[in-house]
Amino acid sequence: MGFSSRILFWSTSLVFYTLVNTMNPWRKLMTKKRLSAVGFVAAVAIAVSGLFVPSASAADEIVVWADGDRGPNLVKVLAEKGDWVAGYKITVKSFSNFEALKDAFDKATDASGPDIVMGANDWVPTGAKSGKLAPITLTASQKARFTAGQLFDLTYKGKLYGVPVDVNNVAMIYNTDLVTTAPKTFGEMVAFYKANKASKSLKAGLCVAGGGMSWGAHSIFSALGADAYQFDSRDKIVYNRSFNGTTFGKNVRTYLLDGKKSNGFLPASDAGCGDNFKDGKVPYAIIGNWEWKDYVAKGFTMNLMPVPGVVAGKPGKMFGSVSGALLTTFAAKHGVEAGAKSLLTNFFGSTDGQVRYQKIEGRPPAEKGAALDVTVSAAQRGFGAAATLSSLPQIGAFLNNNAGGANYWDSAPAYWTAVLVDGKDPVTEGNKLAAIWRANTSAGKADL
Amino acid sequence: MTSFFRGKISFAFKLVALLLIASVLISLTQSAIAQGEYFIAGFLAITVLLLALTYLTKVSIPLKFFLPGILLLVAFVLSPIIFTVTMSGYNYKTGNIISKDEAILQIKNRGFESDANGTSFDIKIGRYQAQEALLVSDSLNNSFFISTENDRIPLIPADLTINEYGVAESAPDFEILTDAEMATADEIYSLKRFKYQDEYFIALEGFEVGIVSRQVLSYDEVKDQFNNIVSGEVYTDNGKGNYAIEGSPDQYLEPGWRAPVWFENYTKLFTEERLRGPLVSVFIWTVTFASLSVITTFALGLLLALALNKPIRGRRIYRSILILPYAMPSIMSILIWGGMFNTEFGAINNLLGTDIAWFQSALFAKFAIILVNLWLGFPYFYLVSSGALQAIPSELLEAAAIDGANPRQIFRQITLPLLLQILSPLLIASFAFNFNNFNLIYLLTGGGPRAELDGELAGATDILISFTYKIAFGSSVQDLGLASAISLVIFLLVAGISMYGLRKSKVLESFQ
Repeated sequence: MGFSSRILFWSTSLVFYTLVNTMNPWRKLMTKKRLSAVGFVAAVAIAVSGLFVPSASAADEIVVWADGDRGPNLVKVLAEKGDWVAGYKITVKSFSNFEALKDAFDKATDASGPDIVMGANDWVPTGAKSGKLAPITLTASQKARFTAGQLFDLTYKGKLYGVPVDVNNVAMIYNTDLVTTAPKTFGEMVAFYKANKASKSLKAGLCVAGGGMSWGAHSIFSALGADAYQFDSRDKIVYNRSFNGTTFGKNVRTYLLDGKKSNGFLPASDAGCGDNFKDGKVPYAIIGNWEWKDYVAKGFTMNLMPVPGVVAGKPGKMFGSVSGALLTTFAAKHGVEAGAKSLLTNFFGSTDGQVRYQKIEGRPPAEKGAALDVTVSAAQRGFGAAATLSSLPQIGAFLNNNAGGANYWDSAPAYWTAVLVDGKDPVTEGNKLAAIWRANTSAGKADL
Repeated sequence: MTSFFRGKISFAFKLVALLLIASVLISLTQSAIAQGEYFIAGFLAITVLLLALTYLTKVSIPLKFFLPGILLLVAFVLSPIIFTVTMSGYNYKTGNIISKDEAILQIKNRGFESDANGTSFDIKIGRYQAQEALLVSDSLNNSFFISTENDRIPLIPADLTINEYGVAESAPDFEILTDAEMATADEIYSLKRFKYQDEYFIALEGFEVGIVSRQVLSYDEVKDQFNNIVSGEVYTDNGKGNYAIEGSPDQYLEPGWRAPVWFENYTKLFTEERLRGPLVSVFIWTVTFASLSVITTFALGLLLALALNKPIRGRRIYRSILILPYAMPSIMSILIWGGMFNTEFGAINNLLGTDIAWFQSALFAKFAIILVNLWLGFPYFYLVSSGALQAIPSELLEAAAIDGANPRQIFRQITLPLLLQILSPLLIASFAFNFNNFNLIYLLTGGGPRAELDGELAGATDILISFTYKIAFGSSVQDLGLASAISLVIFLLVAGISMYGLRKSKVLESFQ
């Protein structure tokens, strides 16, 4: 029985005893026999309750929270080699899925919270604002293990809150039973679709299977001229300048519409895309790196490529982000802050740790050495290479927080609906999207 | 049999049941104390006491029946209401979640900056002259020193054991901690600032690395403000849960804390155009949706009840079929209907031979919602109307028929008024339920369609409760204080409308 339990027991007993002995009507009712029964119930109940109380994590235990995929894989890796931080035991708690993990982390308290949580890059701004994530400072050599963009993804207001572990990105694949060679331009794909729509019973030309119509579809936006960021001559992002909505809208009209109606090449939603592609009813699909195993299992070649642009050699850029192992403020409260930081750099952020982990997890490793390791799969390396070549930082800090009144993540899918379903003018809607982008980026840059 | 409930066995059974319940409640109390939830702990402890007093004494026989209900009412109805009311007076949102003390601590912890070169050193953790100390290796410059909280002691490389990476492994009088000691000393060493030079110190970033940093933000407890030592900026409590620079409300420190803002969340609803505009349209649709739902479900339910009120062949089968939608979980039904309304693959478009984008058009989406709710709700009104029809004395109907009234007149003049009198409370309850019918809206249309590109906050089919959910949980920024204020407004609206309805129908009087 812990200290708080003893306090509770004695105070409860004292209050109870005082009550029954000071209140006259009750004194008559409380025979000695009944009082004994009450005492017996109280004593046994407190004793039994001690069996159910979860013990607090020990001072030499680092607790890591992860989702239902990553958690069990971490357990396997740590079972192989567990001495990443000498003197500590590492415990992994898995949650059924990513949403359940996020929900639990949002509700975590000092007593129950993890020391490290494996979360997405867009957890960083809210976690830091709400005081749940703690900053970590990496040495120059530790930083050199990652690209600047990956570290940027886990940074909020100039402080880093974890180490990148997985690369999250998408790439386009094509069905070699339908298409024999890789397309060079966007127009080539549209032409193929139109020519074969009837004969091959195609349901669409290109669809988004992974990442949704905002994040996943960004390479289509980009291919048609709506590049996420505009860069100055020194490759710095210009936050108050967006893509040209008119140019983008005109490209949409040319490639995706017949008059005011959709030509069927690009569905406005991602519903059914994966199944249609696997059934041979869609020649090109954008898939996420977390689902490549499903496609390999169905016999598809991992002929990953960016979405071709309207001009050959200028492909659309994809959003690339990372998931990371994030340091929490609970680590300091549990007295394991230094141990947790060591675990982040020695295991989560090291070549050895990421190679061991990603061999089981199957995602592209973020750490440079692990990404080049010959033992990781070709698909992992392919996605990793695609991310290095043509990915843009996601910067969830301002694209997902309504800075400027609306947010890009909600607005981007609405563009496809407005134009491809509702028949609205692609140029007008393109300019509206560009305006939201400008408002988001200029209002949110203070959060970087 | 009666003696069984009064004898020793009964007492023993009661004792065991109480024991089990008390065990669970006390263990929950301990967890609540451990997590700092003292109100919950207090409530649970009082519950244990009340249970023991009530069931082991004869203090009040009626209380033995009422106590579980009273306790559950307090736990799951009153407490959430009190919590919601309280939170509606707070700035309680992402960035303002923790307490002020905790926020101060975290601002202090984050209020440092690395030196301009990002200098870091390999370190060994240990003790030097009975003090916590670091053995620091500056491998680049082949320089080594011991750093304690107050001193920096230079070392001569010849006196040290240095490994192949140029890191000192041991030094005279420096006792390196063992692995087991490091884990227990983690908290002490993590909080320490070890001497480097001038205002710069070395802080642990793990057990192997020390980072050279300096404190930038210092807290002045007397003035309750943070001072930026480098820039001279002063951050004071802005009264809304943040330390901010006076005159520059956008320049504030994070994290903030839950701070009372009294009625600000309520005034926002009427003063902020961003909220006021959608709130009006959402309110109109909420009332329309709730009214139409009640009218349509009641009308269809009553129609079917009237049709099946007379003996016809296969009546039992018809009745069983009609209550099937009620027997099926509504979530399943809504999801199936959602699939049926799919533009490309849905059964409805296939049957009609159309390509209507049901959930992309405000009008079609609203129609779909009313239709699905009709499907979900008519069996209930069919059942209650059937029961109510049985309660109308047949003599009244027969007398009217003898007086020459036709069936339509009998229905309009006798059956319907009597039915409405009986069913008014249920109609009002149905209105209140639909006013807050979150599941249907969330699962069927998600509140859409919404013109996101035009910056609309609410969708065309959002009702007040789904709009509240969007504000509270719809994006990465959660405004729980504002959502609580809207919830309270909804509560008052529903209560007001229900009270008005009940008074109008004069049902309350008939209950008295």
